[in-house]
Amino acid sequence: MSTKISGPGVRMSSVVKVYPPDVLALDNVDICISPGSIHSIIGENGAGKSTLMKVLYGITQANAGHIEVGGKPVRFASPRQAVRAGIGMVHQELMLIPSYTVWENVVLGAEPVTYLGRVKGEAALARVGEIIERWGLKLDCSAIVGDLSISAQQKVEILKLLYRDVQVLIMDEPTAVLTPQETAELFVRLRALNSDGRTIIFISHRLSEVLDISDEITVMRRGRRVMTTPNRGLSRADLARAMVGRDVVFSAVREGDAALDSSQRPPQPSPPTVPPCLEVRGLSMTVRGRGRPVLDDVSLEVRGGEIVGIAGVEGNGQFELVQAITGAVKPDSGSILMSGQDVTGASVMSRRRLMCSVPQDRKLAGGAGAMSLVDNSIMTHHRLRPSLSSKLTPLLLPRACRDFCARLIAEYSVVASGPDAALSQLSGGNQQKVIVGREFSHDVDLVLLDNPTRGLDVGSSEFIHAQILKKRSEGKGCLLVSADLDELLSLCDRIIVMYEGRVAAEFAGSEADRDSVGRAMLGLGPGPGRGPESEGVTSGR
Amino acid sequence: MAATDLAIELLRASVLAATPVLLAAVGGAYTYFANVFNIAMEGMMLIGAFTAVVGSYFARSWAVGLAAGVAGGLVAAALFVLFAVALRTDEFVTGTAINMLALGGTTYALRQMFGVRGAFMSSQIRALPRWDLPFGPVLGGHPFLVYMALVLTLLAEWHIRRTRFGMRLRAAGEDPKTLDAAGVSSSAMKAWSIMISGALCGLAGAYLSLGYVRLFSENMSNGRGWISLAAIILTRGRPLGILVMSLAFGLFDGMGMSLQGAGIPAQLTQMLPYVATLAALRIYSLRQKL
Repeated sequence: MSTKISGPGVRMSSVVKVYPPDVLALDNVDICISPGSIHSIIGENGAGKSTLMKVLYGITQANAGHIEVGGKPVRFASPRQAVRAGIGMVHQELMLIPSYTVWENVVLGAEPVTYLGRVKGEAALARVGEIIERWGLKLDCSAIVGDLSISAQQKVEILKLLYRDVQVLIMDEPTAVLTPQETAELFVRLRALNSDGRTIIFISHRLSEVLDISDEITVMRRGRRVMTTPNRGLSRADLARAMVGRDVVFSAVREGDAALDSSQRPPQPSPPTVPPCLEVRGLSMTVRGRGRPVLDDVSLEVRGGEIVGIAGVEGNGQFELVQAITGAVKPDSGSILMSGQDVTGASVMSRRRLMCSVPQDRKLAGGAGAMSLVDNSIMTHHRLRPSLSSKLTPLLLPRACRDFCARLIAEYSVVASGPDAALSQLSGGNQQKVIVGREFSHDVDLVLLDNPTRGLDVGSSEFIHAQILKKRSEGKGCLLVSADLDELLSLCDRIIVMYEGRVAAEFAGSEADRDSVGRAMLGLGPGPGRGPESEGVTSGR
Repeated sequence: MAATDLAIELLRASVLAATPVLLAAVGGAYTYFANVFNIAMEGMMLIGAFTAVVGSYFARSWAVGLAAGVAGGLVAAALFVLFAVALRTDEFVTGTAINMLALGGTTYALRQMFGVRGAFMSSQIRALPRWDLPFGPVLGGHPFLVYMALVLTLLAEWHIRRTRFGMRLRAAGEDPKTLDAAGVSSSAMKAWSIMISGALCGLAGAYLSLGYVRLFSENMSNGRGWISLAAIILTRGRPLGILVMSLAFGLFDGMGMSLQGAGIPAQLTQMLPYVATLAALRIYSLRQKL
């Protein structure tokens, strides 16, 4: 490590950031990132790692503190200034214009132009192509970004930074959306950039990845830096203890590696004679403007007492499948049966009598942020539960609603000031508990879960996983769609992989492992074959 | 012979009627790509028509009138920018307010400044010069803004598709956060698009009051700004498509006037271009569902 030419180091001292009125996001943080190192910053949600990076990148300004880059004091008022000083960031949500080509996205904001203002397409194309060549990124310069896979889009983001000759790369949870194979490929790329002398700051909460890639690791907790240590002889347990501030028992549910202990998985209680609570038969759907069908002859079954997982790289039809099951969209052909009843043409409300559903987006579809916990918790129940409304009139009984909400708060250990608090005042984890509680209080045979723990901290995720397992032991059938492969591997009795709108593979829970599921997610057959490297090019037409 | 004369007259009238719609819609294409819901074109056009007459009347110069028309459109656009972009008010409500302000304001100013109701005519109002270009009986001899509108359309097509400005403009409309992250202010791009739209609506207004006719009458834009909006939405903002749509509108407008001579009540014939626009929107929505 000492022989390579090193990029600039970053030193941040006594950084304080307060989000009004009273959230202390960064509490006197000192951090030193050595030149030319791969430095990971880990911590639970809300630990301040993202805020710290936002301060460094100029997205938000600190209330106090100093930043030095390469020994010179700096203060960035905007990301543009940070980029000029050689610092770039790949955001968790990718910042790309979907309808633009790869090269247009790369040059946007730094376009080479003629004196008339015309963009010099050929020159830009050549320059971008050169960088792709040099780093072996295997991207098609003229492909439309919206047609690319998520991992290829991430490469475009990295390409944007290389085009601007950035020396310090901040990667904000880059692996959250990748399959294991794609993650491995990303790490190869990051190491190549690093050995070229670039400094890499890697944000993650996946401990095994952090241990794999880092030279140094900083742990943050509640706005403070807990420790910084070279990555030597550390274990996941060491890091987890520092992150959470107590010993963490690694349950089957979190951080499930390939070495997942299958004995911790409760035995499947349901004999195959139990009638299915969900049957999907030959579901197909096309959407205008998308070439191939978003759902292509999808058939699956969920029986009582099992958890069926849906894996897949985002955008391969999982979202549309969920929408078709909940009744938000109408499929072109195929049928859906719930507990033996054909609901293909049924309204959302009549389906709600047979299923409950935790949607993907809690702000958009899960709950109403501005409304109280009472209002949020009685949604759907207000129609289906006679006890909530008066017997003579169609009016709701406020006291019964409050009691219902209070029970939910207690049962699902929601941390809130009371039933009258607005949903948006709660932390993400508690909001999700309210939504999960509302849905799970609904006594039906089918439980539909679309990424129920996305963006939640370890504690809340564990809680929700326990609730899902409880539903299964009560004999309910669960369909769990998740982008988190570890979650699927640790919870599911069967895993169905979707690729390009089709059911690409199905694994029994006991035989599924990260590698084989990951390969199916990429549309590759079992065993060694075409690597994920070429995937970005093929999906770019 | 009489039939060809009639046809030529109809086509000439179409070109003349198409021009204000074309000018406003080309400006509106910029706001379309910046994803600004620009319903203020009607008002900006009306203000432009009024200030153009004021400038032309007092300075006794068509050039001052033209400049005043553009300035009027720009002031209205600046108001839009101030509220909808800088103060982040709702675009729809702001645009409606500007349209109402334009209608009430120009009517009030007309009565206060010139002491007339309905329409203001004067020989002191200087009209836009006509260019006797050798383009044949249909295209020759129009006010020069007609030709300028055509050139501007081609320029806009190039400007939006090929230049750095256009690239950033479309990015601002599609994903403002991404553009901001690339170090270019998406709000600034939106503001620019509204100002361009204002300037072109001002031109359209000046054309109405100094070219198409030579007077100002209350509410003289008469829905042309709305027709422009329809043309933009129908063609998804492509300037060349807008040109075709505007000519179609002009044709129906001209047809309505010709039919008036055939003894059909004026109230019905004046409906023709608007009914045609509605029909076009319906056809478009059918096509989109396929």
